[in-house]
Order: sequence, then C-alpha cells, then structure tokens
Amino acid sequence: MTDYWLSKMFFDLQSPPAAAEFRADRDKVLDRYPLEPSVRQAVLENNVSFLARRTNPYLLRYFFFAVGMKDEEFIRKLRDG
Amino acid sequence: MASLVGAFAASHGPLLIREWEALPQDQKLRLKSGFEELGRRISAARPDVLIVVSPDHWSNFFLDNVPAVCIGVGETNEGPPEPWMKAFPHREIAGHPAFALHLVREAMKGGFEPSVSHRLKLDHGVCIPLWRMALEPLPRVVPMIVNSIEPPLPCLSRCLAWGRQIARAVISYAEPIRVAVLATGGLSHSIGEPTMGAIYEDFDRETIRLFGASESELVRYLEKKLPSHGNGSEEVRNWLVAHGAAGGRGFELVDYLPVPKVIVGCGFASWRLPA
Repeated sequence: MTDYWLSKMFFDLQSPPAAAEFRADRDKVLDRYPLEPSVRQAVLENNVSFLARRTNPYLLRYFFFAVGMKDEEFIRKLRDG
Repeated sequence: MASLVGAFAASHGPLLIREWEALPQDQKLRLKSGFEELGRRISAARPDVLIVVSPDHWSNFFLDNVPAVCIGVGETNEGPPEPWMKAFPHREIAGHPAFALHLVREAMKGGFEPSVSHRLKLDHGVCIPLWRMALEPLPRVVPMIVNSIEPPLPCLSRCLAWGRQIARAVISYAEPIRVAVLATGGLSHSIGEPTMGAIYEDFDRETIRLFGASESELVRYLEKKLPSHGNGSEEVRNWLVAHGAAGGRGFELVDYLPVPKVIVGCGFASWRLPA
C-alpha cells in the first residue's frame, strides 16, 4: 500500500537543500508530514524494509542516497527484511 | 514533408556518471564506444529533431498525477535536476513546439491521449545518453516520457503502437525536417527492491534476439518475464516505441554488456529504416 505522505517527503528530499536540512534536523522536517507514528519511527531508525512496503522503490533509493547510506548497506537492509 | 531518419536505443543509469572513474577499463572502453558509435550514427542521420523516449525518474511528476505518456511541447526544457548531473553542459535544451504539438494532435486523432508539458526537467534518463554520445550541438529535443516507474504502466503493445503513431505523424508534418527517435533505458536492472544489483543477462540476450526476430514473440516474452526480472527492465518500453517507429524491423545490436558496477545490463542499438 502506497503511503502518500511518506512518498511525498521522499520526493521533496530529492532537493539538495531539503536533504541537507533533513540530515541536520530530522524531526523538524518530519513534523511537516502527517506520518503514522510507526512510519515516522521507521524513518528515524532507517528501517529500509518497513519503508519499502510503503513507497515506490526508486523514491526509497533516492531517499537513502540523499541521507548518505551506501548502496551496499541499503541492499543488505532491503534483503534482510 | 518531414522524414524519419533514424531510430536508436541506449541504456542510462546514474552510476554511468557517479561510478564512471571506478569502472574496469575494458568495460569503460566498451561503454564509451557504444555511446559514441550511436552518437556517430545519430550525427550521420542529421536530425533536426530528436524525439527522446525516457521515463521520468520522479523529476517532474509525483503521485498527484502520473501520466502514462507525456510529450514535451515547450520552446525549451530544463537540464537535469540531479546534483550529480551538474557537469552536463546544457542547463536548457531547445524543443520544437510546432512539431511536438503536431505529434500530440495527430496522436489524439489516432486514438492516443498523451499528457502535454510546456516545460519539463530532462533528468538523467534523457541527458546521460546525450552527454555520453557527445552530441554537440544538440538537435532540438522533443521529450516523450513513458511511465515505467510507478505502476500501473502502459502495456507493451501500446508502446509499439505509439512508435507507429510517431512514424505516421512524422510523415504528415508539412515542414521538411529530419526526425530521429532515441529510446533510453533498460536493459535489465533492479532499483530499490531486494533484487537490487541483479542483472539478468539471459533475459537481456533473449530480448535482444527477439527484437531482431519476431515482434509478437518479443511482446509475449516480455509480458511473461518482465514482472520477475527487475523493475528497471520495464524501461524496455522505450525500446518498443523506437521499434514501432521503425516499423518493427531492422533492429541492429551495436553492443551489449552487463556492467555490475553500474547495476545495469547496458545495451546499444539502432534500426535500419525502410527506404
């Protein structure tokens, strides 16, 4: 099931200034999106496999690239589910 | 009357830029040579307009509105928004509004309903091939965005039909311009899903064989195999548009190589057009 607001946040964070703001203060950015508490927590914990079930795979990859996660770690977390 | 002077296809992928220097030398040389050979063929065809068929990688459209097909009809379009594409030499890319609108009007008459945009951001899908092919000066670019990113996706036979529609629209355009089609994307790759990094070489090679053999078999094969061979492989739709524009014949592979560092089965092709 697609989570619109999670996807919207990932979409918005493709902009480098927005991604920088997120890296500096995750809570401040998260407050702008009406996310379910479990989804917000998953973002804070970099819970890749939980988020993968709720958004487009390309947006998921762009988000974790923007926050600085290496592809190797991203793939491992996707597979470990 | 305008004429269709070429149809081409090339892969794209962010790591073709971000990991370029880290690629094994032999693969780098083959990729360079594949792109440059297509660049030579496109230049030799002397197109006034290049229809570039690519997905939108969340650069223009979001879940509020995801068109199956969008045609860029603007005077100019923007260069790539990705920060790692900053060195691409064009921040604005000229379009061809009169021809693009003709394409749209003819499509509507022919039973197709594309979305239109008067200003698109042309992301890496469009710009990596143009860049690596060293097309300078750039012909005018009419972007055709085909959704292969966010399901539901346009069906494969529709993409072939789109290509044929493009060919009809070209020859019904009154001005004597030269038009070519460049499809970008594919072949197999997997992005943001547990199979990310996988390249399905057997799938790629069979797809390539069928482009040269049988259109109906190709569509049947892709319909069966695409759902289990990586979400990025869905970009083969763009190759189907080029194949349709070429009348479903004349496919010629320039090169194919799986490139694990780029996580893409990289293909380069052109079509010999009927005289």
